[in-house]
Amino acid sequence: MKRFLLFAVVAVFISPAFAGAGESGTEILKNRCASCHDLKGPAPQTIRQLWKRDAPDLFYAGNKFRREWLVAWLQKPVRIRPAGVNYLRNINSTPPENQKTKSGRKFDVLYGKVLKPLKHATLNKAEAMAVTDALMELKPHYDLVANVKLDTTKKVTLDQGEVLIDKVYGCQSCHQIEPGYGGYTGAELYTAGRRLQPEYMLSYIKRPRSWDPKIWMPNGHVKPADLQKIVNYLILLSKEDFDASN
Amino acid sequence: MRLIKLMFAVAMLMFIASPAIHAEEAYLNYKSYCMQCHGMHGKGDGVNVPAMNILPRDHSDNKYMMSRSNTEIYKAIKFGGPAINKSVKMPAWGDTFTEEELTQLVGHIRSLCCEKELVRGVNFR
Ligand code: HEC
Ligand code: HEC
Ligand code: HEC
Repeated sequence: MKRFLLFAVVAVFISPAFAGAGESGTEILKNRCASCHDLKGPAPQTIRQLWKRDAPDLFYAGNKFRREWLVAWLQKPVRIRPAGVNYLRNINSTPPENQKTKSGRKFDVLYGKVLKPLKHATLNKAEAMAVTDALMELKPHYDLVANVKLDTTKKVTLDQGEVLIDKVYGCQSCHQIEPGYGGYTGAELYTAGRRLQPEYMLSYIKRPRSWDPKIWMPNGHVKPADLQKIVNYLILLSKEDFDASN
Repeated sequence: MRLIKLMFAVAMLMFIASPAIHAEEAYLNYKSYCMQCHGMHGKGDGVNVPAMNILPRDHSDNKYMMSRSNTEIYKAIKFGGPAINKSVKMPAWGDTFTEEELTQLVGHIRSLCCEKELVRGVNFR
């Protein structure tokens, strides 16, 4: 019996490695993804390290993503960060007074690759399943979500949620809640409820730097009840059928 | 005589060098965290501006910024707009920076708005 248990545990533990025919999920990650994505951690600890980051960290993917979303996105990746992973690389400054362009724009704008559809590695279904299994094993931040729970009784309507995100906490300056509606320097939030685990959202919004010490999202000091409402709103929002962004 | 000149130069260097390092760190922080709204030249024209109904302050606006004290600027950065009766659209950065970094950022903003006054050695409140 003991032997069998041990076998069962080992089997569960290594099974993701065999899910894909040929290359296992872990191997795909190592061979095709690790050149851009950090799969080991820790997150950048200084601004200079942060600026060198080319792709989002995946070393805590199992604490962050919803499985179904990963499987689907890896087969059909679309842009999540309208200004790219590092907005400073993708902005052009406002023209000086004496060189006003015809458009006469009065603020910095995005330019280059981020304005075009995202180019990203695409996986077939079997590969996507295998990689997702391997990613969902990566859970070093269990401590950050252990005591966090979504309270589904703190419901809000879409309108009430938008008031919280815009007027009360000013999240919309950086985040879009509809394609093209909202700021650019944060990840879009209209699919967040489908993309992210509720516990991750609760914990990240409460204190972004616990996850990513140097990120340019401030701690919004969101009141506990409002935090629950915001996450319930994001889940509700993600059920709206927005056309995928580019 | 030569020696005295040399010593003087070294002393000057020591005096200048450390604020210069601070200035660089403050600039890096300003660039990473503030430019997204206040703009690449601090003129209140950042990339997020089209999504905002309250415009970020133009940090190069000498007249307005001279009317603000260092304490008010410090409070705005650490506790956010509402701490000085301004909009929540100016976030609180107290959880992002150390006290030292906050003070350096106040200095950086003074270098954007009030360089002439800095050179003249004006005492900011
Ligand atoms: C050339 C660099 C590069 C390679 C190689 C690459 N990615 Fe990415 N990946 C990116 C970038 C850049 C983004 C951010 C896209 C966005 O936010 O719009 C991204 C986003 C992601 C995301 C969403 C992360 C998040 O936090 O939102 C996942 C999941 C992902 N990649 C998985 C993979 C997998 C699996 C592979 C290997 C099969 C891979 N990537 C290979 C650059 C890369
Ligand atoms: C100054 C800009 C800014 C403000 C204001 C801001 N955020 Fe963010 N937010 C970001 C950035 C930058 C990220 C990280 C994106 C990344 O991982 O590359 C982020 C990440 C997030 C994430 C996780 C997204 C993901 O895919 O990992 C959530 C959820 C979120 N923010 C919600 C909020 C909420 C709610 C508020 C208001 C209380 C808010 N944000 C205010 C910039 C901002
Ligand atoms: C999400 C956008 C946003 C970001 C990011 C941001 N600010 Fe602001 N800031 C604003 C807005 C909007 C105002 C104007 C508020 C008002 O007038 O009610 C403002 C005003 C200010 C003021 C003027 C306060 C006064 O006395 O009138 C200072 C100083 C300031 N910001 C400093 C900073 C610093 C330093 C950073 C980076 C650490 C920063 N801001 C990042 C939006 C932002």
